[in-house]
Amino acid sequence: MVRHVIRKAAGWLLMIVVATNATYFLASWFLDPRSNYRDLRPVRSEDQIDRALAPYHLDPREPLVHRWWDWLTSVTLHFDWGRSPTGVSVNGEIGYRALVSAELVTLATVLSVVIGVALGVYTAARQYGWADRFSQAVSILVFNVPASVAALLVVFVAIWLNQHAGLRFLYVAGENSPGVEGLLPTIADRLLHLILPTASLTLMGYVGYHLTQRSLLLDTLGADFVRTARATGLTRAQAIRRHALRTALIPTAASVAFSVPAVFTGAVITESVFAWNGMGRYFVQTISKNDVHGTVATAAFAATLTAVGAILADIATVFLDPRVRVS
Amino acid sequence: MTLATPLLDPAPGKDGRPVLSVRDLHITFPSEAGPVQAVRGVGFDLLPGRTLCVVGESGSGKSATALGVMGLLPPSAEVRGQVLLDGQDLVGLDDRALSKIRGKSIGMVFQDPLSALTPIYSVGRLLADALRVHQDLTRRAAWEQAVQLLDLVGIPDPRGRATAFPHEFSGGMRQRVVIALAIANRPAVLVADEPTTALDVTVQAQILDVLRLAQQETGAGLVLITHDLGVVAGHADDVAVMYAGRFVEHAGVTELFRRPTMPYTARLLAAVPTVDGGVRRPLVPIGGEPPALVDLPAGCPFAPRCAVALDACRTAEPESHEVTGHGHVACLRAAEIADGSLDPKGDTPPAGPPAPADRTATATATGEVVLRVEDLVKTFPVTKGAVLKRRIGTLRAVGGVGFALRAGETLALVGESGSGKTTTLMEILRLARPEGGRVEICGTDVAALDSPAAVRRLRRDVQIVMQDPLGALDPRMPVSHSLAEPLRAIGRDRASIRARVRELLALVGLDDTIGDRFPAALSGGQRQRVGIARALATEPRLLALDEPLSALDVSVQAGVINLLTRLKRELGLAYLVVAHDLAVVRYVSDRIAVMYLGHIVETGDTEAIFADPRHPYTRALLSAIPIPDPGRERTRERVVLTGEPPNAARPPRGCVFVDRCPLYREAGEELRRRCRTEPPAQTPVAGDSGHRYACHGV
Repeated sequence: MVRHVIRKAAGWLLMIVVATNATYFLASWFLDPRSNYRDLRPVRSEDQIDRALAPYHLDPREPLVHRWWDWLTSVTLHFDWGRSPTGVSVNGEIGYRALVSAELVTLATVLSVVIGVALGVYTAARQYGWADRFSQAVSILVFNVPASVAALLVVFVAIWLNQHAGLRFLYVAGENSPGVEGLLPTIADRLLHLILPTASLTLMGYVGYHLTQRSLLLDTLGADFVRTARATGLTRAQAIRRHALRTALIPTAASVAFSVPAVFTGAVITESVFAWNGMGRYFVQTISKNDVHGTVATAAFAATLTAVGAILADIATVFLDPRVRVS
Repeated sequence: MTLATPLLDPAPGKDGRPVLSVRDLHITFPSEAGPVQAVRGVGFDLLPGRTLCVVGESGSGKSATALGVMGLLPPSAEVRGQVLLDGQDLVGLDDRALSKIRGKSIGMVFQDPLSALTPIYSVGRLLADALRVHQDLTRRAAWEQAVQLLDLVGIPDPRGRATAFPHEFSGGMRQRVVIALAIANRPAVLVADEPTTALDVTVQAQILDVLRLAQQETGAGLVLITHDLGVVAGHADDVAVMYAGRFVEHAGVTELFRRPTMPYTARLLAAVPTVDGGVRRPLVPIGGEPPALVDLPAGCPFAPRCAVALDACRTAEPESHEVTGHGHVACLRAAEIADGSLDPKGDTPPAGPPAPADRTATATATGEVVLRVEDLVKTFPVTKGAVLKRRIGTLRAVGGVGFALRAGETLALVGESGSGKTTTLMEILRLARPEGGRVEICGTDVAALDSPAAVRRLRRDVQIVMQDPLGALDPRMPVSHSLAEPLRAIGRDRASIRARVRELLALVGLDDTIGDRFPAALSGGQRQRVGIARALATEPRLLALDEPLSALDVSVQAGVINLLTRLKRELGLAYLVVAHDLAVVRYVSDRIAVMYLGHIVETGDTEAIFADPRHPYTRALLSAIPIPDPGRERTRERVVLTGEPPNAARPPRGCVFVDRCPLYREAGEELRRRCRTEPPAQTPVAGDSGHRYACHGV
């Protein structure tokens, strides 16, 4: 089993390397750092611009392969992800943002899975009951609301709640309040800021799990082996828990890995709405500012998140499905 | 509606008290068309150690009865009546109370062993769990008992195999595990719902033996549900025939087979193809279809199909009453039938296939060779590894098969699953150069087809009829569109397509109005007729039929057999039939090729094979088919094959059958050596050059 997970993890590491390098070449071809300097006054010559870019390994006169090699060695040897066209260190920008975004994406994914699967199981066992019909209607409604609209709705609801509770505990902007000191107050402040963005991301994410888990479980509920389990003397609830649910969870576990990129994309919008300085916003900023190194670092971050999700999914699959351990 | 409950007087036994009594059981399911009355007043007593067989066609309510007894019906089903187990009425108990009884007092064996076991648990774990539901056992003790149970049902190396998962077992082995689950807590009643329908005949015989052994071990009363009258003849003490949700005849097994008294039973027996005896008797199909159980009209549900129905039969449903010396029969004319003064089959002429003499004439007629296959080989790579697939072996699905088929002739490829018969068929239909050997269709070598257009032209001459008629027809296309599709594909114009569709429907004996219906609205027999009509659309010369009858009920099967025979005669078609049921094959084919592990082990004229089977595998196959006659079925000597076909990736070096061959086991040293090392050649039988077999030992 350990071997199985290690083999999978090695595969994902390879995937991160390939994806990141591919992004480097794509970004270098399509983003032009020189344009950042063209609007500056006094007007600079092309030569001056290129010289200004040279220390950051962005000089277009240097062959791409050379620039790539410089970038690769600095990443692998010093874990230095390079600098933006204006000389800002990518590492400095990313360190804090990555933490904030990882927090958001992880929490939202976990919550989506837990809420979605729980709802799916609850409603599948009560197919066509009022709880099933109601929650399905809500889920389909939510499914059709664009992420930005949903985030704004969450903001409105939060403001209304704040006003009626007479207390400002739901923060609609930023990832922390200025001027908070001490470890515990800082953590509490950060968590409070996390509530609304997480809620809006979860709202976008849980629907898929609810609807797929419901239909997956409905398929297995009618399976012959559940009937066999009941024939040996289990009650319906026991048979569902021990035989149907475990089988029906396997495909969900596998799909979690591949939902991480979608959650990350959702985070881009959510972060903008809630004025968060996270990776999602940084991603948009780096592309619009022709920041090759920043874009690549963001891509590497997203790939890492996906890989972590996938490895967790693999571990969950092994846990759920003992057949994997044998083969 | 109150119906008298047909009950047998408890047979005088050492323990006369029934373990299970069902009284006036009614089961109704809601449906869009209205309530479906699946079971309408069923009652019986089951004595310990005895076997009650419930026979009937699909939709007759057999499975609903079984699930009703188990309390496993969906919650939407409405159940009335009594199911008395040890004096306790199970109807109306809640799930929790029933779960204390299920598995402990009643065990159940299900139809499809491939899906009946939870895939994510090892079989040992499944059995141990089943034991621990009702008994206070430690994990270790439960595991030990599980191993013993696996041993009891005949799993080789039970200790080692207990840790294996269901997908690592074959169908027959999985059914043994399901039986072990059912008897784990030594229940007083066993319910087996079509336990062998999904299995090969040779495996069926083994499983029925295991079931009998399990019954002996536990002393349980057995309710065996089946559609196979041969199985009934071999295993039942009492038989209940079900039709439209009721027991229409309920009698002891010898009485029932000696003189079937309900016309339905009599007609069913006449429609069953058999393998015994030297002469084939013609099959008499039962016209019409079983009724839908929604809003049943007044009167006997069988009356519209009955040859001896009176006017009174159509006004009120006859109640089940006792016929002296027989049992209970729900028929107004039971007394006349019982005393022999009325033939329940009526005087319907046997619209069966032409007499054997007639058939030999067509068989020997030297029609043009439509299909010639020489030394056909098809292999599949056996691979390992997730990302980089390494080839670790070769599975020889078809290893050098050859035959020729003439116009107006039917050749049947027969064998157990995995014998390569369907692969052979698909290789022929692929119309591409085979991996090895030659395929020649209507004089054209398929390897020589050089353009897609040439392939399409040849495709017109070769068509296929599938096993499952529902799966083979597009559910969203009305029948007429399904029939028009092949015609559009060959570029016929609209007017001629419309005319041809009508012609095709008439050809297969269907009404014009069927064309507007969707496949879901048709019965099984009608669907298969549509499947045949579609295959005939392009006027092919060769028709490949992949298990064309195995999805059909007995009463409908006979009609399709007769249709196929008529079409062959009228259109001069050649049929290549793939089937596992030798009894059915006897009625459709002129010649038979018996396949085992990718090789033809015996081939010859149908009647020659039945009268004088040479190869030990053919003999075993013939002997495994149960005969619907209790006297003969219980006394005849059977060749029971042990084990299952070996892995085709590692076939034996000499004769492929050597591992399971009964002759090999008794053979001398010299013969054994030849069997093991030297593949046997095809030897003709003296005096019949068409009959050849491949065996060293005969």
